[in-house]
Amino acid sequence: MFWDKKAETLKPDELRELQLKRLKKTLIQVQNVDFYRKLLSGAGVKVSSVKTLDDIRKIPFTKKQDLRNGYPFGFFAVPLKKIVRIHTTSGTTGKPTVVGYTRKDLDAWSDLIARNMTMVGVGENDVFQNMVNYGMFTGGLGFHYGAEKIGMTVIPSATGNTKRQIEMIKDFGVTTIHCTPSYAMHLSEIAEEMNMSLESLRTGIFGAEPWSESVRQTLEKRLGVTAYDSYGLSELFGPGVAFECPERDGLHIWHDCFYVEIIDPKTGERVSDGERGELVVTPLVKEAMPLLRYRTGDITFLIEDGCLCRRGQKIARITGRSDDMLVIRGINVFPSQIEHVLLKIPEVGNQFMVYIDRINHLDEMTVEVEINREFFSGELADLARLQKKVVKELHDALELRTTVKLVEPGSLPRFEGKAKRVIDRREAV
Amino acid sequence: MRSWDPRIEEMPKEDLRKMQYKLLKSLVYRLYSFSPFYHERMREQNVHPDDIKELSDVNRLPFMFKRDLRDNYPDKIFTSTQEELVRYHVSSGTTGKPTVVGYTQNDLDSWTTSLARALTSLGLGRGDVIQVSYGYGLFTGGLGLHYGAERIGATVLPTSVGNTERQIELMQDLGATAIACTPSYLLHIGEVAEKMGVDIKKDTKLRTGVLGAEPWTDRMRTRIEDWLGIKAYDIYGTSELSGPMFTECTEQKGFHIWSDLALVEIIDPGTGESLESGEKGELTITMLQKEALPMIRYRIGDITMMDDDVCACGRTHPRIQRIQGRVDDMLIIRGINVFPSQVEYALMGIPEVGQHFQIVVERKGALDDMLVRVELSKGSFSDKITDIMKVRQKVEHRLRNSLNVNVNVELVEPGSLPRFEGKAKRVIDKRSL
Repeated sequence: MFWDKKAETLKPDELRELQLKRLKKTLIQVQNVDFYRKLLSGAGVKVSSVKTLDDIRKIPFTKKQDLRNGYPFGFFAVPLKKIVRIHTTSGTTGKPTVVGYTRKDLDAWSDLIARNMTMVGVGENDVFQNMVNYGMFTGGLGFHYGAEKIGMTVIPSATGNTKRQIEMIKDFGVTTIHCTPSYAMHLSEIAEEMNMSLESLRTGIFGAEPWSESVRQTLEKRLGVTAYDSYGLSELFGPGVAFECPERDGLHIWHDCFYVEIIDPKTGERVSDGERGELVVTPLVKEAMPLLRYRTGDITFLIEDGCLCRRGQKIARITGRSDDMLVIRGINVFPSQIEHVLLKIPEVGNQFMVYIDRINHLDEMTVEVEINREFFSGELADLARLQKKVVKELHDALELRTTVKLVEPGSLPRFEGKAKRVIDRREAV
Repeated sequence: MRSWDPRIEEMPKEDLRKMQYKLLKSLVYRLYSFSPFYHERMREQNVHPDDIKELSDVNRLPFMFKRDLRDNYPDKIFTSTQEELVRYHVSSGTTGKPTVVGYTQNDLDSWTTSLARALTSLGLGRGDVIQVSYGYGLFTGGLGLHYGAERIGATVLPTSVGNTERQIELMQDLGATAIACTPSYLLHIGEVAEKMGVDIKKDTKLRTGVLGAEPWTDRMRTRIEDWLGIKAYDIYGTSELSGPMFTECTEQKGFHIWSDLALVEIIDPGTGESLESGEKGELTITMLQKEALPMIRYRIGDITMMDDDVCACGRTHPRIQRIQGRVDDMLIIRGINVFPSQVEYALMGIPEVGQHFQIVVERKGALDDMLVRVELSKGSFSDKITDIMKVRQKVEHRLRNSLNVNVNVELVEPGSLPRFEGKAKRVIDKRSL
């Protein structure tokens, strides 16, 4: 089943022609953004000097840090009046990254989700429970709009209250769910505890964090679903950028909307097909916030063989990051954010350690931080208050609950070379 | 003020009524034929669709209550197939099973249209940045306002509830001009902003509040408007009607109820008799175009009155007065009816009193005992016992005069009562525990 058969199955030469046309349009669109005017003139690139798709290599990369420097509206290529939606995503420190959408962008985005959902065979007869955060996180509203577009019955259940989620699946005959793979594991266990079989379920869409084939097998067995991997990031609209087809052997990335390169993260040079590297994407249909050669930080490779479904070249499932970003319960966390928060609190010192564990299939983050004796009395009541304060500050910045342990000055390890303050003790999912 | 859809919103009253009659007639025929629930109810009431000969014959139709929805959990009253349904919302409800509301695409469209008209009537539109700080998800507030704001071409900032400091940062940095949330959450935002050293009046572009999901009074409005430098508008609705649907216009004189979508009656809650325009009673609504979950003469339980005069804004649709309380919220204290909104209204007229209060009702011996805990305003907090005593007497006196019942008052420090991100819970009735 196709949502937009023509766009999804373009022949290679048609595709290249369309990509080049859209790339040129994007190069004109980015002229409304100071950052890009300077970047392109600095690199000596004019719209007219891009004659083939390969010429894109003359353009320098755009990094997450660049977006952050543009806070809040520096990357908008249209007047605010034309922006109908704003989402924010956690930045590497302090201020968030802002992404904006025109009405056309929202339409293009929901169209991609519609393609994905149709590709895995769900439609207007299906009841869809969307168990991810709504609001500023793009996962919730992104899938919500796509599912609505193809006429599914949407239950916007968001996160939390797992027992109620399970009751709703049963009471409403839910056939399709969307959540993080770790939440799906948790859900399946609670369902077992409640002695509830979820017979109506058929399709599970899991994303926002990396997960393995063995988790896929477990989830399929426990929930009775076929499980699909979903990939996306807010800077490229949100979820919907790439998605598995029923073959479930790599993800189809929508080449008419995203120009894909895989590079060596160290040298910035392109790697050959089949070689692992960092995914770099130039979105081709974004209006409010066009980007050029955006470094996603995600490690993958282009799969050489074509797919039986004829939807074009796939990327492999994401296996890691080129930077130190952590994904904790589907939320992106940079160690620099944690440091930024802790350094703002005078009662704690500069030394800290972060441990990440998986307990009952859910990620737990523990932060150990040394007390600063100069600012801290040592009263027991103050200790409790300080601990609460650190938890709250971390929660406000990361949108994540953490366990905070205050420790004596001098008790945490010191590093002579590169500090290794984050210990990820989770087993590979 | 420009209307979203002037043809409908400014239609002559006579034409509106004709349209309503047509819609009612076809609704009743449709439900009599296709809805086992309504068919049976109409038979019980001994009324046939042919008996609806004019608009006022609506009062021959049976009432519907919240318990009907609960008794038919989850979807037995729905008249749409799975293919036609595109959304479910679920409200947890204070007692028992949740209430489930289903929507077809047309239902979502009517709901969104209703809010597009309402938000336009407040002067919002393209160029506005609307921060939606209602909860998103199963609660209708978040997604409802989200779709409405998107329809009028405003920039939507879907912050949802929580993380108040971040909300204030975004409000400032992204230039929010309007916020939609509960009035209690806005009070909380205002206080947190003060603590952060942000003066919402001067440091932000906020100028409109769309505040609802709980009753609040005109005196609370004055306080919010003066304090935060915004115009504060009330918004009305409930998930059974689709969600939040109706607001005041800039005249701030009651909610415009769009006649093509809803037929309003005010009835005597005791006898069920229809009341005239200007008489206070229970609001009863028939949704004229709802498909998935049809509502005929639904008794919401809110107390208000109707005003059918043409509004100064030019809109011809009838208005209902802001809600004074819910039948369910009404407290009976020693036989006297007391609405929490009356308490709020009396308190907000006393400058020494802050924005927050709590009502505790207990039974002492055979008698009901009502205690009102009141936060002092920051300026009037004093260490002097005599000052405090004086304020306490004043508050007790005012409450007794307006409620006709003796009330104990306890004055507490500013900031000591609970704050709320969603609907406030200000009444603790220990008699029912």
